Amino acid sequence: MNDLMSLGIHRLWKDHFVRNLNPGRNPLTSSSSSEKGWNILDIAGGTGDIAFRMLDHASTINNDAHTKVTVADINPDMLAEGRKRALETPYARSPRLDFIEANAEKLDMIPDASIDLYTVAFGIRNFTHKEAAIREAYRVLKPGGVFACMEFSKVNNSLFDAVYKRWSFSAIPLIGQVVAGDRDSYQYLVESIERFPSQTEFRDMIKDAGFLVPGQGWEDLTGGIAAIHKGVKPA
Amino acid sequence: MAPIRLSKSVFGTLRVKPNHTLPIRQRCLYHSYEHDQPPPFPEAESSILSAAMRHVPDHGFTNAALKFGARDAGYLDVSTNLLPRGVFDLINYHLVTQRLALKDSVQFPTEGQVEGKAMGVGAKVRALTLARLRANGPIIHRWQEALAIMAQPTYAPASVAELARLADEIWFLAADTSVDSSWYTKRASLSALYAASDVFMTQDTSKDFIETEQFFDARLKDVSRMGSFMGAVGEWVGYTGHSAVNVLRSKGVRI
Repeated sequence: MNDLMSLGIHRLWKDHFVRNLNPGRNPLTSSSSSEKGWNILDIAGGTGDIAFRMLDHASTINNDAHTKVTVADINPDMLAEGRKRALETPYARSPRLDFIEANAEKLDMIPDASIDLYTVAFGIRNFTHKEAAIREAYRVLKPGGVFACMEFSKVNNSLFDAVYKRWSFSAIPLIGQVVAGDRDSYQYLVESIERFPSQTEFRDMIKDAGFLVPGQGWEDLTGGIAAIHKGVKPA
Repeated sequence: MAPIRLSKSVFGTLRVKPNHTLPIRQRCLYHSYEHDQPPPFPEAESSILSAAMRHVPDHGFTNAALKFGARDAGYLDVSTNLLPRGVFDLINYHLVTQRLALKDSVQFPTEGQVEGKAMGVGAKVRALTLARLRANGPIIHRWQEALAIMAQPTYAPASVAELARLADEIWFLAADTSVDSSWYTKRASLSALYAASDVFMTQDTSKDFIETEQFFDARLKDVSRMGSFMGAVGEWVGYTGHSAVNVLRSKGVRI
């Protein structure tokens, strides 16, 4: 379904997202052996798309066999789907992958300052209280930890925007109706994308929570259809 | 005669203005070099990058150096995400800090205090450029990596812009006051000279980079010879062009 709607581009975005974060602690180039691997929290990542990519990157690129990903999702059906998909990966029964059911606005089971990297890919758009979720991210992150968010955003080029709007408001609900038999959900999808704050507004929300933002604060993907926002908790 | 009289009358009106306008005039005369500039990098980035620079001689311009730097500065490995361009940000940090250090590291004797004649602009430019080249000395064995990264298409525009800023800084510190088209040619030729010497220096094994100095002097001589040649060519092209236009006009062509 995602492949049809984004013409497969969402895979490229996710790969880019993970590659840029470069998760994992290479044992060859790190001096102290006190801490092994990163502790990653993937919010709204029920199906494990990001989690498996993170673990693959850590293992194959950084030779890190300790980095751990906790997948949190509010929807138990999504988590079940993720657990099912995990069986096809080497991480299914390893301590490196964990699934928990949690609300991103109230992560009580996660202690303060315990997470290296907090990711949320195409999830924060659906949160009721985005500010509360960002504040919660700030709480669970270690000083120096990174909040990384990939989300649909605003297209910069007005000509491309016209084409993109046509595609999203006409084609996507239709694809939803034909393929998944559910027009309303996909109508909600495009409307929620439309209502999500622009790059600068969302950057300022991250700043307001106390994060330092790198450079201009975001990176546009495919002309701004999606954007990666990052924030670093000051040490 | 009219323009002179006009300017006199303008100056006259300025002069009869009451004294209290003077502070306003002075406030308008803003020279950025008389004021402290804001630091070029935010605090967190600066602490990570300066710590990372200390690891460059061992680890080169790599992500490993950045991660060690982040650790030293009290951050985590993941905090290197604060630098959106990764290793290029480390290179850029070196370039910017060394450019800004130039005004403090090279001091010229103030005119009037020294016996003999003061240093000319050319000698000052030479001294400044060599000082900037020497600042790459401690990391010169890693500098080829940095040049390779700077030459990547993504980063080339930023690198060239930084080179232009360096050339501008050197001519400014040398107290060059040209306001004609040579403002551009001076900066362009110094940029080319600097880039060539920079690449030469990566392979220089002589003591105290004496061969780089010789290389730079030889290129400097080439430029001045080239400059006078180009001047002569320009004069010839201008004269011939004017003559051709005038011949055509004398034949009745309306140009």
